[in-house]
Amino acid sequence: MEFHELLRGDRPVLLDGGMGTMLQGKGLKPGEFPELAALEHPDWLFDIHRAYVDAGSQIINTNTFGANREKLARMGKTVDEVVSVSVSVARKAADAKALVALDIGPIGQLLEPTGTLPFEQAVDIFKEIVSAGVSAGVDLVFIETMTDLQEARAALLAAKEVCDLPVMVTMTYEERGRTFLGHSPAAAALTLEGMGADAIGVNCSLGPREMPPLAGELLKWSTLPIILKPNAGLPAPDGSGYDITAREFAQSLAQLTEMGVKLFGGCCGTTPEYISLLRQELDGRAVANVARSVPAAVCSPTAVIPVDRVRVIGERINPTGKKLMKEALRRKDVDFMLGQALAQTQAGADILDVNVGLPDIDEVQMMVRTVKALQGITDAPLQIDSTDPAVLEQALRVYCGKAIVNSVNGEQAVLERILPLVKKYGGAVVGLTLDENGIPKTAEERLSIARRILDAALGHGIRKEDVYIDCLTLTASAEQKGAYQTLLALRMVKEQLGLKTVLGVSNISFGLPSRPIVNQNFLTMAMVYGLDLPIINPNVEAMMAAVRSYHLLMNVDTDAREFIVAYADTPSAAPAPASGTRPLDEIVRAGLKGEAPAATRALLEGGTAPMDIINAILVPALDAVGADFEAGHSFLPQLIQSAGAAQAAFEVLRAHMSADKTTTEQGRTIVLATVKGDIHDIGKNIVKVLLENYGYTVIDLGKDVPPEVVVQAVKEHGASLVGLSALMTTTLKSMEETISLLRRENLPCKVMVGGAVLTEDYALRIGADFYARDAKQGVDVARRVFHS
Amino acid sequence: MTSIVLSPPDRNEILRYMGTPPEQADVGLLSVVDICSAQMLSAIRPRWTYRLSPVRFEDAGIRLDSGLLLPGRSLKTHLAGCDRVVVLCATLGAQADTLIRQAECSDMLRALTLDCCASALVEQLCDRAELYLNTQFPGCHSPFRFSPGYGDLPLEVNTTLLDWLDAPRTIGLCATSSHLLTPRKSVTALLGLSDHPVETHKRSCPGCPAYDGCQYRKSGGHCGIS
Repeated sequence: MEFHELLRGDRPVLLDGGMGTMLQGKGLKPGEFPELAALEHPDWLFDIHRAYVDAGSQIINTNTFGANREKLARMGKTVDEVVSVSVSVARKAADAKALVALDIGPIGQLLEPTGTLPFEQAVDIFKEIVSAGVSAGVDLVFIETMTDLQEARAALLAAKEVCDLPVMVTMTYEERGRTFLGHSPAAAALTLEGMGADAIGVNCSLGPREMPPLAGELLKWSTLPIILKPNAGLPAPDGSGYDITAREFAQSLAQLTEMGVKLFGGCCGTTPEYISLLRQELDGRAVANVARSVPAAVCSPTAVIPVDRVRVIGERINPTGKKLMKEALRRKDVDFMLGQALAQTQAGADILDVNVGLPDIDEVQMMVRTVKALQGITDAPLQIDSTDPAVLEQALRVYCGKAIVNSVNGEQAVLERILPLVKKYGGAVVGLTLDENGIPKTAEERLSIARRILDAALGHGIRKEDVYIDCLTLTASAEQKGAYQTLLALRMVKEQLGLKTVLGVSNISFGLPSRPIVNQNFLTMAMVYGLDLPIINPNVEAMMAAVRSYHLLMNVDTDAREFIVAYADTPSAAPAPASGTRPLDEIVRAGLKGEAPAATRALLEGGTAPMDIINAILVPALDAVGADFEAGHSFLPQLIQSAGAAQAAFEVLRAHMSADKTTTEQGRTIVLATVKGDIHDIGKNIVKVLLENYGYTVIDLGKDVPPEVVVQAVKEHGASLVGLSALMTTTLKSMEETISLLRRENLPCKVMVGGAVLTEDYALRIGADFYARDAKQGVDVARRVFHS
Repeated sequence: MTSIVLSPPDRNEILRYMGTPPEQADVGLLSVVDICSAQMLSAIRPRWTYRLSPVRFEDAGIRLDSGLLLPGRSLKTHLAGCDRVVVLCATLGAQADTLIRQAECSDMLRALTLDCCASALVEQLCDRAELYLNTQFPGCHSPFRFSPGYGDLPLEVNTTLLDWLDAPRTIGLCATSSHLLTPRKSVTALLGLSDHPVETHKRSCPGCPAYDGCQYRKSGGHCGIS
């Protein structure tokens, strides 16, 4: 019998129970690797599998939970030898009475951003296991005990790219209904169904009594068969076992057929006795046929955003017309984008559009870096915005959750190129109502393109709820009749196709005076006509006010709660910053970040040249703070506060300076990195802020940076100084390797090093030119290098 | 494992980690510290676990009953007189890292403060775990907690210790390929147990593994841990 056949009808399906407990019962000692049982004790393993088959299990899992190359290497074994024997023992024990599932657990290292394991490396590790399992003849793949949705994605993607076998995926949750990393069952359901899992669920975690809320979330956010494979209850406080009996386990779990749960089994602490009792309890029960439909929604691993009201897409991460962002992209500085992201979500954006397209940069690489970095700091789901399918694909691969793809249009070739990616990675997609003939003038014609896009999407197996139509905003000053056609098209798409709609709003006012007024009013009108997803600048209060007012007046914001939270405490007159009263140098020395921009602007308006502000005010003020710090009169917090104030002043200056003037920074480039193997980088980040304040261009390579990446960056940016940091004694070795590679490559750069465990002696011994004890000394070194 | 509830971390300890003598902190800085403490405390998900093992003193180091060897002389000296060891690990969870990363995008002072709050909290978590263990092993005597990376006990043992504790599955604590702990605000430690009083090696500067490079000592101060 094949997997899909087994799932047909309304009979519950029985899985197996715990393996570790059983192996220990057979004599496996704590600290011994259970994965080696197939090689060392195949008879034990056979007996356990057979006991589950005799108890009624219809699918049994191979004993390959930790059989990945990272773990097996420590035991001197290969994936192939362990997986092939494990599968063959299970296959023999199954005796054609049960299907054999290739069991895959977590790798045991955390993926980026919490850990350091790169996503693609995880995919590769999983592919090796799946290939071995497929060669050994498993019937399906069972990915389990995942706490990181990204790792579950990596395993699922690996399975899908290696074979056509069915894949089940279960994750493990804590009592508050989240994984250790804070990932939610709703996000797991949306994401894993989108990526083509065949059944999803919960294993390990808690006991059967704690399952209903988790199962409820999975049932709500997916249409797939649901699996529950909990522990034998909650662990007893004294570690002696679990808090319920096998009978209670079976009874409380079997009841959940009434919710619509399809597959049942056990995890830690459960034995063939539990499974056999579960068989008895399940016999005669039918899985309730509950109606399930998943609403339109996107998600990150920690936040699901249903499109059940107006949801704001922040448009600011886009270099078009933004000089500072273009510069940041050329420096490969993702921090700039991270700042933009946080500002937008704080202002009320629900979703963030991400566009990093510039003609002269590697857009794929930059997009992947940006998506990863953004997911490390924000819960907001992302909308991946690019015209290049390669950029979209690579971004979708690393994006954890359900993203929006921006965009396709009615052109056949575009649909054929992009829709398969949307399907494979389980995204939602924006369809622009234009095609090879351009943007149609009338609403009817746009509706007809929208219909074509919808049909193509359905044809590729994409759900209707995942297609969002953009009826396109034309500039009112150029095509005044167009605005109403856009509104009409919105209504038609909404009413006749039942699709969600998206619209870039600000274009409407291009070329007109008082643009904010036009934008705000057009936004309100569009919402009334059915706009679900406005793409706007949420930092403009008038736009967010329009959205909040709309929710208030349409009775979406019940009892005006959100409106009141947003506006009740608005002070009638904000305390005016004492701009103009305090000189900029004093502001920097006192570290008053909030006052720095106004004071800088005042100086510029008074005719002071930007370079004079830097050289005559900011640098001397920072020097004074640095001297105080060195003398022990002030401390690290003051130094950082002053740096923050100077940075705020610099941002004003940069925006003011014309493109050619900023090139004065050329030739003053410093590459910073926390070395390979080290993940503690806050010290390096403080140094970065300080160096930037002195006008140096800093290329920050982040943490865990391999030597060759440092070398590459020095070459690419022509840096004269490299700063390396390491916190651990063990990673000083990589610091030494990085320096020696820089020397071998004969690069004309100086190297400074810093970090808690370093000493001057040691720094010189490993070949560094300078040792910087703290951030202040880092600046001193930079000055020596660049002024010599 | 008994869950441990943490209290707001000690202000002075945080200030010391931040390189500021507590008596010289101004009102503004104190308020940043208090706000960050509260934010960190509400974001984190402290978890811990432990296992007990008899120890065998061998030439190469300390042998646990699982067969695992903890190599080197430092731990042997440290555990002199102990017949058992509690291997414990603790983490604040990934939420601490996320909060610090977020702050780094907009305000380095907040980032530094949050980082130091988290360091103080993970230390507090271990202290409270140790208090709990004292109740589990009444009458036992212990030298101070000893972690991989101290003396000549290599960080490499982090990976095997976490495996033995089943820490990735039970508390979500893993090691990277270079044996550093992730989430970052985490600790692995060994706590020796003896039925007889042992020489309580107090943690002191000369015995500290960070002696050579210690930033507190270099600036004439002290980390505050004793």
